[in-house]
Amino acid sequence: MSVTFDNVTYRYGSAGGVSDVTLTVAPGELVAVIGASGSGKTTLLRLAAGFLDSQSGRVAIGGRDMAGVAPKERNLGVVFQSYALFPLMSAAENVAYPLRLRGIARAERMARAREMLGRVGLAEQAERLPGRLSGGQQQRVALARALVFRPAALLLDEPLSALDAAVRAELRDLIRRMQRESGAATLHVTHDQEEALSIADRVAVMQNGRLLQVADPHTLYDRPANRAVAAFVGHANLFPATIAAPGLIRTALGELRAETSGHQPGTRAVALIRPERVVPGAAEINRIAGEKAADRFLGSLRRIDLRVGPDTLLRIETASRAEFAEAHIPPESILLLPDEDTTP
Amino acid sequence: MAIALYLTYLLIPIALLLVGSFGARWTNTLLPEGFTTEWYVQVATDPSFRRAFTTSLTVAAGVAVTVLVTATPLAWALATGGGTLSRFALRLVALLPIAVPELVLAFGFVVVFSSDALPFLGSTWLLVMGVSVVTLPYMVQTLVADIRHLGLAALEQAAESLGASSWRRFVDIVLPSLRHSLLAGLMTVTALTIGEFQLANLVSGFLSRPFPVVLLQAFYGAAGFACAATVILLVLAVLASTGAALAARGTSRA
Repeated sequence: MSVTFDNVTYRYGSAGGVSDVTLTVAPGELVAVIGASGSGKTTLLRLAAGFLDSQSGRVAIGGRDMAGVAPKERNLGVVFQSYALFPLMSAAENVAYPLRLRGIARAERMARAREMLGRVGLAEQAERLPGRLSGGQQQRVALARALVFRPAALLLDEPLSALDAAVRAELRDLIRRMQRESGAATLHVTHDQEEALSIADRVAVMQNGRLLQVADPHTLYDRPANRAVAAFVGHANLFPATIAAPGLIRTALGELRAETSGHQPGTRAVALIRPERVVPGAAEINRIAGEKAADRFLGSLRRIDLRVGPDTLLRIETASRAEFAEAHIPPESILLLPDEDTTP
Repeated sequence: MAIALYLTYLLIPIALLLVGSFGARWTNTLLPEGFTTEWYVQVATDPSFRRAFTTSLTVAAGVAVTVLVTATPLAWALATGGGTLSRFALRLVALLPIAVPELVLAFGFVVVFSSDALPFLGSTWLLVMGVSVVTLPYMVQTLVADIRHLGLAALEQAAESLGASSWRRFVDIVLPSLRHSLLAGLMTVTALTIGEFQLANLVSGFLSRPFPVVLLQAFYGAAGFACAATVILLVLAVLASTGAALAARGTSRA
């Protein structure tokens, strides 16, 4: 079933909440919601879960308006950051609990719980209490518990935030696989953009309670709608630019060749240059010379700040270990964004 | 060192009471002379002490039930409540009985319930209400600490999302999780109730005096008799405290 937000607003007293959010998660689709703390992403999930009621607008699940429908009647699988497993029930009893609430006989519900635990790789740990499981294992149990009753939709509230990097990567794949198998519309709230980009069908970026852009991961990264999205998703060099002539822009880096279609000469824009699209070494066009201000070795890549002018730094990411004092930017690596400053 | 000193001051009076309760004669000497169990027999057969014993147990049971029924929802509201103002108000309600001297509460009761409109002074249930008010904060504090420590609000929300009604959540999740702290709190409340004197002395009627109030009278008589009666009170209180300690150990292990 789908999850639909239709012009939904919920404001907490002074600050925070969501404003006028319209978003649909289709059956089988995984939509990740990312944003800084306080951007409203968790509020959105709580509105879907029914822990909060929207002040205006409509939340619908499977087309049915959820106004006045209690969380227990929404038939949603929710996975919490804190796992929220019942400490006095074994892993299997935890997974069987929603089935017990639905009146399924003990033998059958325990069999289904064990089968589900097998699918998340915990067949051996079924009789353990949550306290005897690692964080990653507990979240697997929580995922099994959220899916065992075939919920109308799945809501994931920062499910991997409390886990180590290695476990996180592993669980990411598990979540994706289980979600695909279940076919449940899934809203996945996270502050980890890599997590969002890697498993979501579409990513929604939130800021100050509003949706800035909803798009598939490639579009979001390569063609962000505005400066705020570009700055939030991945690393970005952002320079104010003036269109000097068709195919030519003027920036703090000097005059650069770039794709300017859609922009009139004389108008202003913001040039986005992803650090990994800057190429070390000189070239004929868009050549940048400068002095290294910082050079950070991150293992798989180096992140370098090149000082181009007194107040101008160009961030470069490269796998190369060679030294260089010049770089160039291929014209197709410059994206012009509208000149509206949407950042507060 | 400090704890040894503390225990000495705590244990010496108790040891003297024990010795005194089995001593045949105790006048103008450091320790009593002779051995007898007569004092215990006398206490056991004394009608006013028998009645006081029953009253104390009745009051303890009444307080236990009252506190049990009121403390859990109050603690839940305190631990999970939303607004700052309502939380402050609840906190105040829960702490005031500790801050306000029992004597103040007792005088208040005397003034209010000796009037013709509310002539309830001296009834056992009034004593139960008074002691409940005084002991409730101890139970609430224990429960609030446990609700927070166990993250019960999140568990309850999880259960709700899985389809559990509020009653099922209470029975399946909240109650089992709080069983140790409920027991520990209950034992503390019982121990406090059994030893409660200030309020009972002013509020209880002549025929519904609990054990400590009657005990005071005993000290005007034979020392051995008073000692034996005190030891009985002590045993009751220690039983309740030991239960509380055991239950509390269960809490920290869970």
